[in-house]
Amino acid sequence: MTTDPNYPWQTVFDKLKTWARVNSPWAIHFNSGSCNGCDIEILATLTPRYDIERFGVKLQGSPRHADVLICTGPVTRQARERLLRTYEQMPEPKFVVAVGSCAISGGVFQGCYNVVGHIDEVLPVNAYIPGCPPRPEAIIDGVVKLLESIKGK
Amino acid sequence: MTFTDFSPLLTILFFPGGLFLMGVGLLYEWLDHKLVARLQNRIGPRWFQPFADVVKLLAKEEIVPAIVNPYLFVGLPLVGLAGALTAALYVPLMGLPPAFNFPGDLIVTLYLLSLLTLSLGLAGWNTSSRFSLIGATRALTQLFAYEAPFLLALLGPALVARSWQVSEIVSRNAGQWLIVTQPIGFVVALIGLMGKLELPPFDAPEAETEIVAGALTEYSGRGLALFHLGKAVELVVGLTLVAALYLGGIGNPLEFALKTLGLLIIMAGFQSVLTRLRIDQTVGLWWRYGALLVLLQWVIWIVWKGLSL
Ligand code: SF4
Repeated sequence: MTTDPNYPWQTVFDKLKTWARVNSPWAIHFNSGSCNGCDIEILATLTPRYDIERFGVKLQGSPRHADVLICTGPVTRQARERLLRTYEQMPEPKFVVAVGSCAISGGVFQGCYNVVGHIDEVLPVNAYIPGCPPRPEAIIDGVVKLLESIKGK
Repeated sequence: MTFTDFSPLLTILFFPGGLFLMGVGLLYEWLDHKLVARLQNRIGPRWFQPFADVVKLLAKEEIVPAIVNPYLFVGLPLVGLAGALTAALYVPLMGLPPAFNFPGDLIVTLYLLSLLTLSLGLAGWNTSSRFSLIGATRALTQLFAYEAPFLLALLGPALVARSWQVSEIVSRNAGQWLIVTQPIGFVVALIGLMGKLELPPFDAPEAETEIVAGALTEYSGRGLALFHLGKAVELVVGLTLVAALYLGGIGNPLEFALKTLGLLIIMAGFQSVLTRLRIDQTVGLWWRYGALLVLLQWVIWIVWKGLSL
């Protein structure tokens, strides 16, 4: 999102683009070895109770449609390639959110023979949401913080 | 007709052809989502949500998969959107007379509206991912299922008016609520429209729980945005067509808004109370009940006409 001062309309376009990105984050959810606790909380976040469609968040099935990759759990050796492939299939600009202690540090799975490590060792992560598992409110807060950071760019 | 003399280019680019129609389409899409959300006891999206979605998609990278035919991949969304936009020129949008008309334009309008589904099917076939292939097969199967009953249902009013021209049908049937005399046709037309737009319960072609996103699985960025816009435009054009033919014509913008919104509320109701039909159930519904009931109504109408002469 570079702004070239030579083109005044460029600033307007960039503002419009950023506005659209902030207001329509479509998400895809990938579990690379979590105990499922975090995934259940993510699903709870998507229920009508929290209704995150009001922020424009939509869960997409295809990585081609998604802007935000929501990762849970540590990365196991087996899931590493799938995680990378999912990430590479997403069109630019894309963001990664790591949900849960395991995604941030490996958590209780740290040092296991089949675990590569935390998400950060495989993908560039934009936002971390701690908790084991984090509450839906915490996940929403994390996504909002991510959007705030996009706004600043 | 007056503003076509003014400038055809303006008609096609801004009003009622291009930008304006897309704007209204996205607004209607928001209304649809909002109504469904309210019926599910949610708050629902903000009014600019579809606009933000489309702008964001347009600003995103477009990935062209390695094995596709790139010309088809890039061209098909354009064809679909162009078909939907062209169809809008023949319907009385906003209560204004159609921008263009000629005898038989009802049929042309209906075929232009099918162009979107056709290019969707071709796009799914072209990307040759297994999900999009299944989605494309389902989209085309569904096209064959609802197209004939939908056509028959919209020809009911044409029979009454003895004309195949949208503007003439509307002016001859003005003030005559055909929904009263041809209720079956109305229901089939409205449900056919839902099938055309792949709204629940007819969303098997894009069933996200089974086949990711159907035919559009491999589309990202621009292509996805254009298909999205095409759907939105088709929603408005379809609603206008059904309202104009069955709800006593459209005289002014207020009437347009009220009648199409009424239809939209009914559709939102259907969407939130019904669950997705399997593709064979969809086909069965249309051919076993839809088509036969409309034909029955035709027979009744023709016999009644013959007796009253
Ligand atoms: S953070 Fe807790 S809930 Fe989440 S995957 Fe790890 S152990 Fe499970």
